[in-house]
Order: sequence, then structure tokens, then C-alpha cells
Amino acid sequence: MSGMKPVNEKAHLLQQAAESGHLAEVTAMESIAGCATTFDPGWEVDPFGGVASLCQPMEADLYGCSDPCWWPAQVPDTLNTYPAWDSGKSSAQGDWRELDAVFPEK
Amino acid sequence: MSLCARGVLLSALLLPLLLSCGGPRNHDLLLTGAKPDRLFLIDAGRRAVAAEFHIPDANNFVSVIVPSPDGRIAYVLVNRMESIAGIELASGRQVFRADLSTAGERVKCMFAFDVTPDGRELVVYEMPTRLEPDEYVVEPPRFAVYSTAAGLNAQPLRQFPAPRRVHMLLARPDGKSFYALGFELFEYALADGRLMGQRGIRSWDVPGHSIPDLLAIWPVTEGTGVFVSPVYATVNAPGGPKEGVPTTALMRLDLRSGQLEYRDFEPTAALIFSTAMSPTRPEAFGVYSTLSKIDTAHDKLAGRVNLDHTFYAVNTSADGEEVYLAGAMCDVAFYDAATLTRRANLRLPGCPDQALATLRVIHR
Repeated sequence: MSGMKPVNEKAHLLQQAAESGHLAEVTAMESIAGCATTFDPGWEVDPFGGVASLCQPMEADLYGCSDPCWWPAQVPDTLNTYPAWDSGKSSAQGDWRELDAVFPEK
Repeated sequence: MSLCARGVLLSALLLPLLLSCGGPRNHDLLLTGAKPDRLFLIDAGRRAVAAEFHIPDANNFVSVIVPSPDGRIAYVLVNRMESIAGIELASGRQVFRADLSTAGERVKCMFAFDVTPDGRELVVYEMPTRLEPDEYVVEPPRFAVYSTAAGLNAQPLRQFPAPRRVHMLLARPDGKSFYALGFELFEYALADGRLMGQRGIRSWDVPGHSIPDLLAIWPVTEGTGVFVSPVYATVNAPGGPKEGVPTTALMRLDLRSGQLEYRDFEPTAALIFSTAMSPTRPEAFGVYSTLSKIDTAHDKLAGRVNLDHTFYAVNTSADGEEVYLAGAMCDVAFYDAATLTRRANLRLPGCPDQALATLRVIHR
């Protein structure tokens, strides 16, 4: 974890767990109520610390990521909560302007 | 649910012939899916869509495709991972349907299912969640076995306990067991779900190597009976940098013999999402934003070219002469296996994203 800097409370807890030897107790849950099936970073950075190895173009990757809830913070949870988010928008490259933000129903 | 998938047969008379006969060179038929509900059958030799089907109640989600052993039915994971539809390729009819969820229990299959070698059963990895009025209860994952003759309301014939974090099932050719890939490689008996073996993936214990990273959701083994996948790890060697060297290996699992190997082939210089073995030469092909050729006899990179966009899925022709690329966006590309030059590109009608759809080849 030497190359990573925690920036929120959850990340600090994860770092503390790693430093105290309890990292193995911190594991991802499987698909349950929402998304969050992985701890991967999102579309900000590739494994080499740059952006050149992200999918090209980004739209090529959008549904590949949103369908299995890969990065839930960046697109709606289409697996369970907002399955119609991409309805009628079969091409991310052509329809991206219509992929809107979502808000919890009151 | 409608009884039949709505099919658009572009070659209605030709299709049954393609599905049943041999013929001139390269009569590979390619299967891929796309949003919102589409299944495409492509004549590789003609570089043309031979048939297009609309899968009922796909719910904007088409992903893993598993052809039956006789190549007549495509089993497709649809409906946000909650249903498997069997589409008869000669007619476009939906002839099998397993809706995994029931009232009060939501069941997801995260990519992992396969058909048995005799074509009679589907093995499905199920992740159930019980939906209570005030809480969701995560239930233990399980394997469920369905009869492929069960029609449109298939119910499991038997169920077995399963480990967590499984993302691929691969039936072995003898029909007695199947592999489950997750944090480790498990083998289970098909008849009673007995755990027959467990080998390392996360605990692979390769000297000098860190815990590996593996993303394997494209169950491609046709033509070779060998599943291959890129595996990433940091390698610490004497005299090397203390932080180690990011290295790409090829995981190779022979479904018939059970032989499992991990062989490094390059310091990681490019990402590879999925790979497929050549049926004719000791080569594997890997794809992402580049197309890579791996010399599996000498464990080294044999070639790499940039692609015009990212593809997720790769497969090879029966004669080993071509490499097929698909997934992600809306085109299928045909590359020369020897030179890695592009021979052709087929844009799917309407340009729908294929996203995580598997690219399968029916060899004729």
C-alpha cells in the first residue's frame, strides 16, 4: 500500500487494518444489495499510473463496466436499482448524451 | 414472456445449411450478443450477419454465451444476470429459459455457467439474496443443475453448496465434473456436487511471485479444449528492483487432462483482458486495446499491434488462420493470425454495444 494514500475514512480504516496485520479480514462482499463487487479504481487511472491503458475510447468500456456494477460510484447501479438506466441507449458512443444522472425516488 | 424470440433471418434458406453442413474453407459461425436483447450469428467467411435474434425479456443485458455441443442452441445470460435463455439458432425460437429469481429471493449468476458435453444439462453458479421487508439476507452461493429439455420454465434438478467468488464454470469433456474458477480453481462432481479438487489461483505459490490478479469471464475453449487467461503478478527476482517487476503470465488449463500451468511471458507492457489458444499452433492471442500474440512454446511475446478501439473478446478460426475480435463496441474484426494485420471489419446492424458478450465460434 506504499504507493497509495488514503483520502477518506474507509480508506484510513483499510490502511490501519493492513498495518496491524488484519488485511485478510477486509474483503469484498459478493453481489448483494447493490453493486461494489470490486475494489478496483475507476476510469481515472490505469494500472501503470497513467491513462493510456484505459479503454479506448472510454465509451467502449461504459456498459462493460456498468452491466456488472464494476464501478458503482461513477454510473448508476443497473444490476439492481436502476436497470432501465440504459434503456433505449444501446450505443454508449452514440447515446452518451442521454445517459443521465439518477436520483433516489422519494 | 413470448414463446419465440423474434428473429430477423437475413439468410433464412442458407442458415440451416450453415448450421448442419460442412462446406468451403472457413465456415466458422460466430456468436456474439449486444444491447438491448440481440444475439448475432455471423458467417465469418462472408463477413456478414447470417441471422439476428431478439431474446425475450433480456432487460438490456446480454453477456455470456455458451453454445450447445452440437452448435444448434445458444445459451445466453440475460436479464441483469437473472435468467439464462436458450435460443435455437436455426429458427430463432427461445427453447429454454431458466429464470433464477423467485418471489422473495433474488438470484444472480455472475457469468458462471456451462453446458455439459452431452448437451443435456446446464450447470449454473447462483448467488441468492433473500429480500425481506426490512433487510436483505445474503444466502450461501450454490450450484444449480438444469435439464436443457426443461423448456421455458426450467427448475433446478439438483443444487449443491458452492464457494463464494466464482466467476466461471467449465465443464470437463468426460461429463463427470466441472471446474469452477474463483479465488482458487475448484473441481466438482457433476452428479452430486462433491468437491474433487482444489488448486491455487490466489494461493498459486509461484516462487518470487505476488498474489496474482485474474479477470476471467470469457469462457472460450472451443477448438482446443484449453482455457487460457492472462494473469498479472509482481515478480521479485535476485538483483531486481525491490518493488518487483509487474509481469504477465498465461494461465493454461487443459480441460481434458486437468493440467494447469502458469507461465510468465513478458514484463507487463500492455493490458490484456482475454485470450484464446490457436487450434493449430503453439500460440495464444490476447486482446484489449492491443492485439497480442504469445508464443506458448517459448513463453514470449511474439507480436503486438494497436487496435482502433478496445475489444474485450477474442477467438480463433478453426483453421488457425484468423483471429476474431468482438465485445465492447459494435463491430467484429477479423485479423490475420500470422501477421496481425486487419483483414476485415463487420459493423453490427444498428451499432449496438456488445459490452461483455462472449464471442463464440461454432466450427463447421
